[in-house]
Amino acid sequence: MTIGTDHNFFRFITPAWLWKSTSPDHRSLRIGIPRMFFYYIYPGLWETFFSELGMEPIVSRPSTIKTVEKASQISETEHCLPNKLFDAHLAELVGKVDMVFVPRVLSTIKGHLSCPKFGPLPDAARADIARETKVLSIELDESRRPLSESLMLLGKQLKSQKSQIRSAINSSLRAMELAKNQPVRYLRKKEGLRFLLIGHPYVIHDNFIAGPILQKLEKMECEVELISFAKEAPVKSYILWSTANLIYHSMKTLSREEYDGVIQLTVFNCGCDSMMIDTYRSLMKEKNIPFMYLMVDEHLAQSGMDTRVEAFVDSLGWRP
Amino acid sequence: MTYMAIPNIGNYTIALATAVESLGIKAWASTATTPEALKLGIEAAPESVCLPLKAHLGHFIEADRAGVEYAFMINSVGTCRLRYYRHMIDQILKDLGLKIKIFGLGFDGFKPPIVRHFAPGPITFIKPLFHTVLKIKVIDELEVAAWRTRPIEITPGDTTRIMNKLLVELSESKTMAETRSIRKKVAGSFADIPVDKEKQPLKVGLVGEISFLRDKCLNKNIEYILGSQGIELKNFFLLGEELENITRIIFLNQSRRKSLFRITDRYLQNSVGGHALDSVANSIHCADEGYDGMIHLCPSGCMPEVSVRPILKRVSKDKDIPILEMSYDEHTCGVGIATRLEAFADVLMERRKCGAAAFRREKARRG
Repeated sequence: MTIGTDHNFFRFITPAWLWKSTSPDHRSLRIGIPRMFFYYIYPGLWETFFSELGMEPIVSRPSTIKTVEKASQISETEHCLPNKLFDAHLAELVGKVDMVFVPRVLSTIKGHLSCPKFGPLPDAARADIARETKVLSIELDESRRPLSESLMLLGKQLKSQKSQIRSAINSSLRAMELAKNQPVRYLRKKEGLRFLLIGHPYVIHDNFIAGPILQKLEKMECEVELISFAKEAPVKSYILWSTANLIYHSMKTLSREEYDGVIQLTVFNCGCDSMMIDTYRSLMKEKNIPFMYLMVDEHLAQSGMDTRVEAFVDSLGWRP
Repeated sequence: MTYMAIPNIGNYTIALATAVESLGIKAWASTATTPEALKLGIEAAPESVCLPLKAHLGHFIEADRAGVEYAFMINSVGTCRLRYYRHMIDQILKDLGLKIKIFGLGFDGFKPPIVRHFAPGPITFIKPLFHTVLKIKVIDELEVAAWRTRPIEITPGDTTRIMNKLLVELSESKTMAETRSIRKKVAGSFADIPVDKEKQPLKVGLVGEISFLRDKCLNKNIEYILGSQGIELKNFFLLGEELENITRIIFLNQSRRKSLFRITDRYLQNSVGGHALDSVANSIHCADEGYDGMIHLCPSGCMPEVSVRPILKRVSKDKDIPILEMSYDEHTCGVGIATRLEAFADVLMERRKCGAAAFRREKARRG
């Protein structure tokens, strides 16, 4: 019986440094990461993980109006806006990289669920846009196994050594914690009004969706804080969607002194938000905090957004 | 007399009404959402929720206006918006100041709150349940017979007339003996309809979201339109089969998902939620069985069904089977639907002709 030198058996019994230089196959492997959904849900995790494994992560560029135009051409017409943008980001990467990374995010907090649209995401990518490229995928289900174990499986899929994967997991989880805990604030003046912007992480951090509103609020010398997802697992409630439950619980602890108003940013055709808007609104009504929701679709016009934001900010000035 | 409003799932509402009678109360139901109810629901619900919720809500508001005190809904454990329906409908009805009380049913213990509240005697409770199961079986048979007969009937409308007659009899039947005699009649009555035996109708599968597969008002009577176009169809939601699956999962611990995953192998490896996995699996299955086409129904913006559409498109290309994707919202007009279905039927007919011609050519060439 002969065992080739590239067999895993040798890799396990020999020290890691022997292999580092002699494995060119995945040293230069370029992995494309679309700048949507899981990129924002796990900020900073994927780039660190892949680069620690000696691969080259390539993240698609932030979405602009060009991305949206591309999205409306190639994507399924009835998807929600982030899903369309995701398709455009994916299309941008296809052809430039060796494989694209599309995980199946089923649950991000134990006992909770993600949006059902994430379930068939890799399958849909394989079926349609990333047909000519290899799709790297992993099931991220916090209810079944913790994130670090899923990452371990992902590393094994890429045929890296165990010790290397372990160190990559450690540093990437640390990077994610750091990125999550960084308070995102747009501060101009101390006397200005303070707003809290709530919404899905991939909505409030996206350049195309949230950019114009943040710019406008900055111009009006308001302070905006994006909602943080770094908190521990929230108490279980009737809401099982993890993001929605997190927002629900952090909104319960809000007080009138902290913020002058809450702005919810939602996207057209978002199923989760369509069920939650009324819940948030009634919660804010109880607490007597002004609340506005802005819905963004492909035809976002700066002037329309400006008018609504201005009206909201002005109306706050008239409050007794 | 106490009344209870029940959600409508097409003709199966007749069987559900019998189940409600097991609690010693009467059912308030219709086999199709009325346009008035839909209007009420659209007014009361948030604008971007899906249409089935609006239909449900409208139905309950209408029931409350008619003086009905109770209603029941299915508790879902899935991943899609259906899970939050009960909570949301409760909230909206409370905000509107309506008094109707809604019970949840399903997956919450051996003795659900609805049974605890009405506390029926054991015999009065069990017997109607058996009757319900029998009625569901009869309705299953009726549906299947109607799909087969409608495309080949000589006088248009015969099948619908016979079916409606039998459904009315079924809804009036009080004892199991009566229902059994109706069941015996089913095959005979459909066999009496004059049919064109030479005709070979097109075969089309109907997959998608369940309330659209069943509710005649929501899907604009798609079964009738297709049938009168000369298309034999198979609707992939039969309550009898669904109940059988649920029983199998509970008692034999046999999940149907495994077999579905085997079919959807390289197309889909996740049970998305709702009936999305079934839609994909059934489409692949039908393509292999030699169906002429598939129709995929869903409400506009349905989370699971819309997200598998790219996969359905791939199936359509790989397996060479046309899949028509229809999405409905509150502005969908029956005439528009009919036009699209007619065009689809024409396309299928031409495809068959071309296919048959090509097949004949091939045969002639080989001698």
